[in-house]
Amino acid sequence: MRIGAMLGDISRSLFKRPVTERYPFERKATPERLRGQLTFDPAKCTGCKICVRDCPAHGIEIMVVDKVAKRFVMRFHTDRCTYCAQCVVSCKFDALGMSHEQWELAALSKEAFFVSFGREEDIQALLTQVTCTPGVAPVGPVAPATT
Amino acid sequence: MDTQQEPRKTFVVPIGPQHPALKEPGHFEITVDGEIVTAATVRLGYVHRGIEKGVEQQNWTQAMYMLERICGICSHVHATAYALGVEALAGVQAPPRAQAIRVLVAELERVHSHLLWLGVAAHEGGFDTLFMYSWRDREMIMDVLEGLTGNRVNYSCNVLGGVKFDVDDTHADAIRRAIDFLEPRTHHYLKVVTTDETLIGRTRNVGTMTSLEAETLGTVGPTARASGVPRDIRVDAPYAAYPDFPVKTITATAGDLEAKFVVRIQELFESYRVIREILDKLPAGDLAVRMKPRIPPGETVSRVEAPRGELFYFLKSAGGLNPDRVKVRTPSLCNWGSVLATAPGHKLADVPMLIAGIDPCFSCNDRLVTVRRRSTAETWTWAKLRQYGIEYYR
Amino acid sequence: MNIELPPLVALLFFPGGLFLLSAGTVYEWADRKLVARFQNRIGPRWFQPVADVVKLLAKEEIVPDGVNPVLFHGLPVVALVGTLTAALYVPMAGMAPSYSFTGDLIVTLYLLSLMTLSMGLAGANTLDRFSLIGATRALTQLFSYEAPFLMALLGPAIAAGSWQISHVDAYAQGHWWMVLTQPVGFLVALVGLMGKLELPPFDSPEAETEIVAGPMTEYSGRGWALFRIGRDVELLVGLTLMAAFYLGGLANPIEFVLKTGGLLLVTAALQSLFCRLRIDQTVGMWWRIGILLALAQLFLLAFMR
Repeated sequence: MRIGAMLGDISRSLFKRPVTERYPFERKATPERLRGQLTFDPAKCTGCKICVRDCPAHGIEIMVVDKVAKRFVMRFHTDRCTYCAQCVVSCKFDALGMSHEQWELAALSKEAFFVSFGREEDIQALLTQVTCTPGVAPVGPVAPATT
Repeated sequence: MDTQQEPRKTFVVPIGPQHPALKEPGHFEITVDGEIVTAATVRLGYVHRGIEKGVEQQNWTQAMYMLERICGICSHVHATAYALGVEALAGVQAPPRAQAIRVLVAELERVHSHLLWLGVAAHEGGFDTLFMYSWRDREMIMDVLEGLTGNRVNYSCNVLGGVKFDVDDTHADAIRRAIDFLEPRTHHYLKVVTTDETLIGRTRNVGTMTSLEAETLGTVGPTARASGVPRDIRVDAPYAAYPDFPVKTITATAGDLEAKFVVRIQELFESYRVIREILDKLPAGDLAVRMKPRIPPGETVSRVEAPRGELFYFLKSAGGLNPDRVKVRTPSLCNWGSVLATAPGHKLADVPMLIAGIDPCFSCNDRLVTVRRRSTAETWTWAKLRQYGIEYYR
Repeated sequence: MNIELPPLVALLFFPGGLFLLSAGTVYEWADRKLVARFQNRIGPRWFQPVADVVKLLAKEEIVPDGVNPVLFHGLPVVALVGTLTAALYVPMAGMAPSYSFTGDLIVTLYLLSLMTLSMGLAGANTLDRFSLIGATRALTQLFSYEAPFLMALLGPAIAAGSWQISHVDAYAQGHWWMVLTQPVGFLVALVGLMGKLELPPFDSPEAETEIVAGPMTEYSGRGWALFRIGRDVELLVGLTLMAAFYLGGLANPIEFVLKTGGLLLVTAALQSLFCRLRIDQTVGMWWRIGILLALAQLFLLAFMR
């Protein structure tokens, strides 16, 4: 029985730097395994679509433009994704990965949650196709050249 | 207020569904006489998300991720219970290394959950300093889990048939460092909760439950163990790697809030020991075995020990791509009775601490319960269920 | 230090009115920052209390059903006016009190109690169940700490032989710090001040995990802002009074800042050191221990004289 059992803690803390992370001003390095935005390598993809089948959040769409020429377009919904990495495990060909650098995916508009991977002209071709289809979200900005 | 319209003898204090004491929605009606509680009732189900029904529309792999999201704090044990059940149905055994990693993550999760609880319980009692310090130290475990699994919550460590990732030396060192830091801190917290005069004034002999009451009310987990009921699935029915890395059941006899503090904190030491042991003796081998997308027909029961107590899964397969029925019984649901039974006679100020004492998880209570009085069976259609839901939340 | 100021300036700008409001927010910030540092957190930035008040003043004030609107709007004003008036009788900022007369100590203490009383009445005025319980607790607490607090502050007054704050202040400046000669009284007064300000561990009237915001639950916008400023000013006045009585008086602004700052450090440490007391524990503590200590001190002083 004593009064103020945490006296040691609070008196030490007065002379210590606070542990609060000043996040937007000071950024810590993210761990290697952090699951951020999905990355896609069309050269390795075979278009088997196991990732699409296993995705619990329906966050991946794979469109086959030309299977032989390895022309695939992957469309990734950052807002639907639960970052469980099941698709990365499911992919037998290592075509999918998760970036540990791109993880600040919050955005002010819905378009930003929609990322397409693949060859520029394929995306453009699909873009014109898709925008004509009612009820389907337009193709968002193209991800930086990770592919 | 009702008292204006009709003269009522009782003064009911509503706690919830939105209330600063509750981090999740639940509704308690506390009848008070001055400051003394005379009766307490609970109404749950504000977070009914229909997960059990929802997984029936998902395939076996997808279902795991939805079930993992039943609880944000003990997400891993949900996925583990499900994965163990599905593996049993498929007649597959995950490799020993995978089982050990499952237990490792489960114990790390227990550490983070118990430290979180320590902070929440202290905050409910108005001891914000203990809250801030325990959460500061919990951040060590969160960082470790983030480095190991890639996520701070909902680690998604399991796949059907194993785990996703390995534990290499750098991670093992990071975990050991975190545990080395946390162990003396945990000793300190144990000292604080057992010696601090003001905290003891709020916890000792508050919400006392005898072991008989704990048995009768069907409590599980640390709530039961604080009353001296040795009930721990890790010991009673060891699963995953617990047969190789046995744990000791921690019990206390007092059954009051202080005992709940002590039991949970002492379980932390047990977890630290198991984590160190697993890191030292991690079995070699594969991380996962392949599973077919179709699971053979059958039924199974899978039980694991969540940080809050026994987690129960019933799985039924019809041989298809989707689960036929998944029934989840979460530990929080078993423990509500103990709050309502112990609250009368206490002060109103004790009620938030009593509620926090069972480490409640409200979103775990997402379910529909009807009590059938007669033996007539009844089939509810979707339309009827929908109508029932609309009526219930009106 | 003694500067003659025109009465209107003293009332509106310094040491009354505007100065009190801004200094009050600064002290609230310092208190929050210190508590945060004790908890190893970073704490709010310097403008946070001002921003809170500005935001609240700009917000809509909702008058709930079933309240007496005059009381609902009037009580926050009474509370603020009470504390602002009390500030005129204490050596604010190390200056001589703007107004002084024999027995102003008692008047000041009752003006400070007006705050708690207003809050209790404001809670009882609404029909909200949290407010009613909070009001009951606030008034119960008022009756428990008021007597020991008053007796603890009478100690220095008896030693100085005057119930006039400026005389006690002058006496304290010329003698040993009374925290050394009357340590028990200091302790009771400091803890009493924390009870008066409903700081943790005496925050059961507004325990957020039990009764949301206690008597203040139904207040939003202007009324809540006024109560908040009122409490900030009360903190300032209370610290000034304590420093003037127990820490060797306040001769100049530098002493004022140092001594009240030191006291704030101690109260912030006490705030972060304890678990919230239940209302029965608070009352029990004051009537079993607090009042006995204060009485013993008082008898000892009366006997020594």
